[in-house]
Amino acid sequence: MKRSAGRALLRALPALAAVVALSVGAAEASNNKIALIPGGPHPYFAPWEQAAADAKKDFNIAAVDFKVPTEWKLNLQTELIESLLTQGYNGFGIFPGDAVGINTTIEELASNNAPALALAGCAQDPTKAAFCLGTDVYNSAYLGTKALIKAMGGKGKIVHLAGLLVDPNTKLRMDAVEKAVKETGGAVTLIQHITDTDAQEAADQKINALLGAQKDQIDGLIATAYIPSVVAAKSLRNLGDKRIKLVGIDDDKIVLDAIKDGFAAGTMAQNPYGQGYIGAYVLDLLASGICKVRADAPFIKTPQTARFIDSGTLLISTDNIGSYKDDLKKITNDIRSSIKSKYLDCK
Amino acid sequence: MLAVAIAIGFVILSLLSPAFLTEYNLYVMLRSFCVVLVVAFAQMLTLAVGQLNLAIGALGGLVAIAVGGMMEKLGFPISAAVGLGLLIGLGGGLANGLLTVRTGINGFIITLATASVFTGINLGVTESIPFYNLPGPFVAFGVGRFFAVPYLLIPPVLAALLLALFLARTAPGRYLLAVGGNAHAAELSGIPRDRIIVLAHALSGLLAAIGAILAEAQLGSAQPTIGADWLVMSFAAPIIGGAALTGGHISVAATALAVVLVVLIQNGMVLAKVDPYWVQFLLGALILAAVGLNRLRAVRVEAA
Repeated sequence: MKRSAGRALLRALPALAAVVALSVGAAEASNNKIALIPGGPHPYFAPWEQAAADAKKDFNIAAVDFKVPTEWKLNLQTELIESLLTQGYNGFGIFPGDAVGINTTIEELASNNAPALALAGCAQDPTKAAFCLGTDVYNSAYLGTKALIKAMGGKGKIVHLAGLLVDPNTKLRMDAVEKAVKETGGAVTLIQHITDTDAQEAADQKINALLGAQKDQIDGLIATAYIPSVVAAKSLRNLGDKRIKLVGIDDDKIVLDAIKDGFAAGTMAQNPYGQGYIGAYVLDLLASGICKVRADAPFIKTPQTARFIDSGTLLISTDNIGSYKDDLKKITNDIRSSIKSKYLDCK
Repeated sequence: MLAVAIAIGFVILSLLSPAFLTEYNLYVMLRSFCVVLVVAFAQMLTLAVGQLNLAIGALGGLVAIAVGGMMEKLGFPISAAVGLGLLIGLGGGLANGLLTVRTGINGFIITLATASVFTGINLGVTESIPFYNLPGPFVAFGVGRFFAVPYLLIPPVLAALLLALFLARTAPGRYLLAVGGNAHAAELSGIPRDRIIVLAHALSGLLAAIGAILAEAQLGSAQPTIGADWLVMSFAAPIIGGAALTGGHISVAATALAVVLVVLIQNGMVLAKVDPYWVQFLLGALILAAVGLNRLRAVRVEAA
């Protein structure tokens, strides 16, 4: 009896697997090889590795690989992409380290029938990238600054710690911070933007110099890049200063611990996992020729591109520090389950 | 001259910002001073023998991730990991020196190539992912201080004293300058030229390793990018301090003063709220001005 029940279960397993596969959206195995390529080494992109592995498994894709250029240089990223193309990769999720410069490579991919998506950051229009899936950086910086102003009681002086100056998103973030400050009608003033703090040694030197010289004049810090968020959280802890409010970006453990211990008011979560996971899913559909991007899809228009999808952002604070990962998962699932009907035209 | 420039800088910055002379800001500046000082010494030693070391930052990065990996992944005690890290630095420098003298190829080319090798190993081992979980006492050393004096300052000060003693009071120290001043004459007077060049590179590697370990303690994590932006400072400080690129003339004290000046300039950039898009330009221009002024002084001294 037990044996026949076991056999029945074995017979049912493939059907069960198919049901599970269908339920996550992969109707059949594909032969596509998808590459997820950041602009260079950076901890922000670490979740892409897991996203690639999960997408490969969940959507039955032949290969989804996370490939990192050795340095943040356009030529190294281009060489890596070209090398992967010759190795048979036919779908590319790219973070454009250079928003304009990457377009030549994306055109080369398009001429080889290899679709590309801009992930986590956008390529500048006109571009052959199918669309851009990333954080609405302007909105994220704006909401983060608003949260900071609220934590400061609506008045005071703030400093903006920004990332690489060559990244066009940095300018957008600076504009967003200025907008939120302007809306206070003079109650909050922006002392300065400190930029190029997206490398650990530079961030440590600049942020500590700022705190050393002006900590008594500063009431709040808004960090809109990963490394300065971490360094600012660490520096405020070393200083033992809970008066200066900090709102950072991303969910590094050091920043989360700072929120728990009162050294940071919050941090703006982005959704790198979702970007990688959904990106691989869409690239598989495009590379298979099953789907095309709908011409009339309801994309968001940004200063960089007319085809933008927000991958989600939310403020992590003491209120939701235990549950924000579930919130991000829900955002990812919502986007993935609706992306086909909203943005794609499929056979 | 340097001391005067530093004094003027101090006065201007304290007038610009009352917080400049606070205990915490002095601590921050002294902390910035630590890594730059040993990195400058590392370059200064190769300049002494008329060579260049372009691999300082790359070797520093390799040592940083090696020490971090040994502590975090292999569970080595701090002393063992630091000791082995110093040996890696010494070994890397030794390799640079041996390759330079054995092949007869200029150290510029050799260290350009080994820099790529060191960076390659670094990235191959770490895949660009830092080691974050370093032992508590190691990280505590990086942020600890006695009033305005960071504990991190102890190794660079010891290194400076030992280096000054080595250059002034020991035969190999004096040979370094002799080889840099006139290699042929030094050889004729019985100084083992090749061995001295190897020694300069080896000590340079050792100092780069000290800089890397200090940077690691300061940052609280072993970042593969440690050392990536050391090169400009490594040349700027000894040259502002009057070192001759052709070799034979270096000064520990003047290099240390030059590092103080560079740190002041960097600190001043933040205090003066310089437009972010012009920071890099102004930093370069100020360093150029400092080098130019020092050169002018040297020319006047020679003329007199």
